Amino acid sequence: MEDKKTLFERIIWDNSLIQKFTSKQLTIIDALKNNVFFGELTKNEIKQLAKIVYEREFNSQEYIFMNGQPAAAMFIILDGEVKIIRESEDAEVEITRLKTNDTLGELALLDNSPRSASAVAIKPTKLLAIFREDLNDFINSQPELGAKILRKLAIITGYRLRMTNDLLVEKDEELKQCKKKLERLEEND
Amino acid sequence: MIDESRKLRSRIFYSLFFFFGLALTVYLFAVLQSLILPTLIGFFLAYITKPVLTFLEKKKIPRWGAVLIILLGWILLIVGIGQRIISLLPDKQHELVIRVQTQAKINDLYLSLFGKEDINAKGNFLDELFGNETLPLMTTLNNFMKLNAEEEKTFLNYVNSSNYTPEERNRILKMYESVKKINSNLAVNKNENNKEKTKENPFEILPSLIPTSEIAQFFSEISKWIVMPFVFIFILLDDGEIKKFLINILPNRYFEMSFAVFDNVDKALGKYLRGTILQSSLVGGVIFIGLFLIGFKPGSAVLIGIIAGISNVIPYLGPLIGYGAGILYGMIVGKLNPVLPFIPQDAAIWGSVIVVFIAQILDNTIFQPVILGKAVNLHPLVIILGVMGGGIAFGFWGMFLAIPTIVVFRVIISTIYKQLRDYQLIY
Repeated sequence: MEDKKTLFERIIWDNSLIQKFTSKQLTIIDALKNNVFFGELTKNEIKQLAKIVYEREFNSQEYIFMNGQPAAAMFIILDGEVKIIRESEDAEVEITRLKTNDTLGELALLDNSPRSASAVAIKPTKLLAIFREDLNDFINSQPELGAKILRKLAIITGYRLRMTNDLLVEKDEELKQCKKKLERLEEND
Repeated sequence: MIDESRKLRSRIFYSLFFFFGLALTVYLFAVLQSLILPTLIGFFLAYITKPVLTFLEKKKIPRWGAVLIILLGWILLIVGIGQRIISLLPDKQHELVIRVQTQAKINDLYLSLFGKEDINAKGNFLDELFGNETLPLMTTLNNFMKLNAEEEKTFLNYVNSSNYTPEERNRILKMYESVKKINSNLAVNKNENNKEKTKENPFEILPSLIPTSEIAQFFSEISKWIVMPFVFIFILLDDGEIKKFLINILPNRYFEMSFAVFDNVDKALGKYLRGTILQSSLVGGVIFIGLFLIGFKPGSAVLIGIIAGISNVIPYLGPLIGYGAGILYGMIVGKLNPVLPFIPQDAAIWGSVIVVFIAQILDNTIFQPVILGKAVNLHPLVIILGVMGGGIAFGFWGMFLAIPTIVVFRVIISTIYKQLRDYQLIY
């Protein structure tokens, strides 16, 4: 199953940037403070941000969001485990698994493009949700805080773009070498 | 894993919870009907003020301070406008003169239109066609406007002792004589009407058994309206807790969708309410400027502008109120003192009609399409039934708030439907 996920999907969902924590339950403030997007905010600023955060509990096997639905919120796992899957008519491909303090659906903070995969809780899971429109209002009312959050979002999106470019170049090289090998084999024949 | 019995229990619990909630809501609506209107107005006022709150918070003013500033601003605005309106309203004695003048003008108009020399005399073909219907109407109107003995005394004292020019005094007294003549001619009809009334409803002329002391009525009204500032303050102080609570009680599958519904409704509603206020202000402003230019006194032009602007919120009926206020003042004012040189001095009635007409044309072709767009794209039948229904249920305020309320419900329902489809929850 692991072999079927694409490189692009690994980049998007593996959250290599995000620090991994133990699975012990965190408070909302701790979870926000430890999250890569909000790590630069002071404790007081985090407290203000916590006002727009929703806490939700999902049962095992319950969908958090589905592929194709409009994206409105980013989620942070407070406690539990979530799998990111891509479903086709006859199969389900698991792209990655996310644990406590991992983030999912963060691109929803940028626009409402449809979700590119589904997220399902593997066991009873507690999540924090931050909605794009709430965050926009928050940024409008407190532009300095907004600048910190948006800069972090831009850095992470830029990092992922660079990784994608590197991988594309790498794969392009591999493809060229494969072509050359194929040509040589054809010449030998 | 969710087992089947747990699913069933959940379903039973949520169904019972829903029906109990519905029954409780219906019961509370029925019992606390008198609180609905103050609550709605408090809510609307808070809603249209929200952008000011955001602006003040951006300026680093704490929320409680911003709410306090807004509350003081509203109080000053309401008291200021109220005082201005009261100062523009005529005093008791002048009101009697206006009543006589209006009554005389209406009677003159009626007599000349129906070709009558006297109210009981036979007139032209219009009188033959509509006389039976219009005469009782005129009788009721004259009885309604007629001065009683004490008022007549006050009126005559005032006219004879105040600073009227002899010409003006003669004109007013002439009107008074004509009104008096018509009233005496109608006295027979009035007595007959009273006898009929006694037969139909003998309780109507008995003194009412319900205590009608003005102080008791005042406190009864105050106790109802006291809820309004509380709703206003708590809606403004709310830091998203109400929205959070409502979203949190919904099942997970509706979580993201419910937020989108709240957000879209919030935006559409805010746009509509603030747009309506801007639109009404523009209509009132155009009417004020127009009336001022054709020669109405600035104070009267402001008053008519305010009345027409506020009533403009009520579709169809609102513009009629605007026309009515302009015509009524036009009838009383006599000669104009126009700012624009080409306006004739005696064109008060037609001038006011043209000004209100221009304001309505501007409203329908520019203000409404530009400011509100298709936010109020309601079927005329829905509008008429809504305004009438609102009027029957809650009087003037019901008519006033009928269309905003219908728009709110329409936005909520259409947004829920759209989001349910977008989130693939229904087909």
